[in-house]
Amino acid sequence: MKNNTLVSFEGVVKRFGDFLAVQRMDFEIAKGEFLAIMGSSGCGKTTTLRMLAGLEAPSEGVIRLSGKPINDLPTWSRDTPMVWQSLALFPFLNVIENVEFALKMRGIGKTERRRRAEQWLDRMQITEFASRNISQLSGGQRQRVALARSLVVEPEILLLDEPLSALDAALKVRMQSVLKNLQRETGITFVYVTHSQSEAFSMADRVVIMSRGKIEQIGTPQEIYRTPRTRFVAGFLGSSNMFTGKVTGIDGGVVTLDTPSGALRLGATDLPGPVAVGQTATLTVLDTKTHLATRAPAGNVNALPVRMIGEEFIGATATIYLEASDGHEIRVQKSHEDLANLPLQIGQELVAHWPLEDGHLVMEA
Amino acid sequence: MRRSLTLYGLTFSLPLLIWQLLFFVFPLVFLVALSFWTVKNFRMQADLDTVNWATMYGRSVFWQAYGTTLAMASAASVLVSILAFPCSYAIAFKLSETARRWAIFLMVIPFFTSYLVRVYSWQIFLSDAGIINVMLGWIGLGPFGLLNTVGATIVGYLTLTYPLVVLLQLFSLVFIDRTLIEAAHNLRCGRLRTVFAVIIPSARVGLVIAALFAFILSFGDFVSPIYLGGGDPTTLSILITDTTKSGQQWPRAAVIALTMIATLLFVAFVAVRFAYKGRSK
Repeated sequence: MKNNTLVSFEGVVKRFGDFLAVQRMDFEIAKGEFLAIMGSSGCGKTTTLRMLAGLEAPSEGVIRLSGKPINDLPTWSRDTPMVWQSLALFPFLNVIENVEFALKMRGIGKTERRRRAEQWLDRMQITEFASRNISQLSGGQRQRVALARSLVVEPEILLLDEPLSALDAALKVRMQSVLKNLQRETGITFVYVTHSQSEAFSMADRVVIMSRGKIEQIGTPQEIYRTPRTRFVAGFLGSSNMFTGKVTGIDGGVVTLDTPSGALRLGATDLPGPVAVGQTATLTVLDTKTHLATRAPAGNVNALPVRMIGEEFIGATATIYLEASDGHEIRVQKSHEDLANLPLQIGQELVAHWPLEDGHLVMEA
Repeated sequence: MRRSLTLYGLTFSLPLLIWQLLFFVFPLVFLVALSFWTVKNFRMQADLDTVNWATMYGRSVFWQAYGTTLAMASAASVLVSILAFPCSYAIAFKLSETARRWAIFLMVIPFFTSYLVRVYSWQIFLSDAGIINVMLGWIGLGPFGLLNTVGATIVGYLTLTYPLVVLLQLFSLVFIDRTLIEAAHNLRCGRLRTVFAVIIPSARVGLVIAALFAFILSFGDFVSPIYLGGGDPTTLSILITDTTKSGQQWPRAAVIALTMIATLLFVAFVAVRFAYKGRSK
């Protein structure tokens, strides 16, 4: 265990009856980091968060907070405040009473309580709503109350369970920067559960990607985006072209893969593990790093003959949809300038190509 | 927006309107009128005299009965709320979905039998030679005079109101958002403290309405004070029967009845105001 570790999951498993909600997981959360746990619904991300909060007990394994096992500590004896998806603000209390709640539970005196609550209302810019009812607030204001209510005790860690999912797009982006700034200023460790890639990648220092109760990959947003380590991650992010096939050669720092779309090669410098001839593997290449040309370029590149099947404009960029010889779909994302010189018509024969070093290998699980 | 009365709407609402008019509004108006009538030589005659109001309100026995009834109904309503809460809490939060349905079913069963029958069966338990005293006798205690006491009357009130109060409390408890309870736990609010800090405030409307129903039922009850309390101390319901029996004093009984109605309206108004206090429109 590193000495800046705040939380560690050691062989943690969670079962609900026969259902395996979380498979054996081992990972650590560093002090002061913003960690996002991402996955689609039912992947075990919320269960993981709830185990950390003490709302569910792990079936196996140990969760440590600052080195101490907390498995048997009920949630009311831990300092792991959580922000709920529904926010779970108390409707029978007004704004400042909601914020004071946790302080009151700690037996902090009335004047001290009020002072600290007011500080946080001020910090979250909701001072003017102090004596309002929760039902009189807008979504964004409620969000701020929920944050203030959890942060008023100045905890070491804050757990957030999809807190922004109820907000509209514009407000979501604003709250993301509020959250990120808050985390940076306070230095409190944030554990943020979300199904949204944009939320996770724009705020988090590290992202944990989960699927079916299993951790698929942990890394910085950059790492995960550039080099997805599993087929699931590559598919989940949806930003890579994937070619699955058999490894036919490892030779001179180049791995050759025989796929239905054609033989492809990639540099062997960045392999996820030992690779042997005959294994099934998937090559991934970002759709922004896949290039288009009318003829196969000279040099050491992968080149696939493709046929254009459609295009989609997304603001400054366009996504071109193509089909390899076996019908496999390939996407290319480029700025309009980059595409200007190409004859882009449906049915047009083109060549998709990318340098060997832009391809990454993902082994089959 | 103006809603026009349609024939269709009237067809369904008219019978009830007529019923209400015939059996609620008319009797109430008649009761008001009756309270101003006079009785001469055991005969009532239409009049407009405030003598009944002056007589009743001038009698200490009326105010004693009023105080007793108010105190006993309030006590019963508080007591039944406190006794019912652990039960409804357990049904709402500790039982499985199926067990909860069975519990609700069991709570409905008492309504199958007449309240009068249930009160009579209490006599079998509480009388001097009744089940409780016999059993106490086995260990050398008693007999105690359990019947014809205020305590026995309260037992009767509880028999009347307990199942209803449990059901009313239950329906407000099951609709509490469970994440509020988790959130309270998560903010260091212990289990017992959560009951007082979160669950009771969340269910306030239902709890107050349940207590109000208990009060209304107990306040006007005649069966328990007479068959279990032995008519002593006198409650307002007993006073009404006494008044009508003694010299055909229906107008004076009307004064008592109207005072009771006014009291119930006032209590109901205050209770509902309290229940919804602090809620935004």
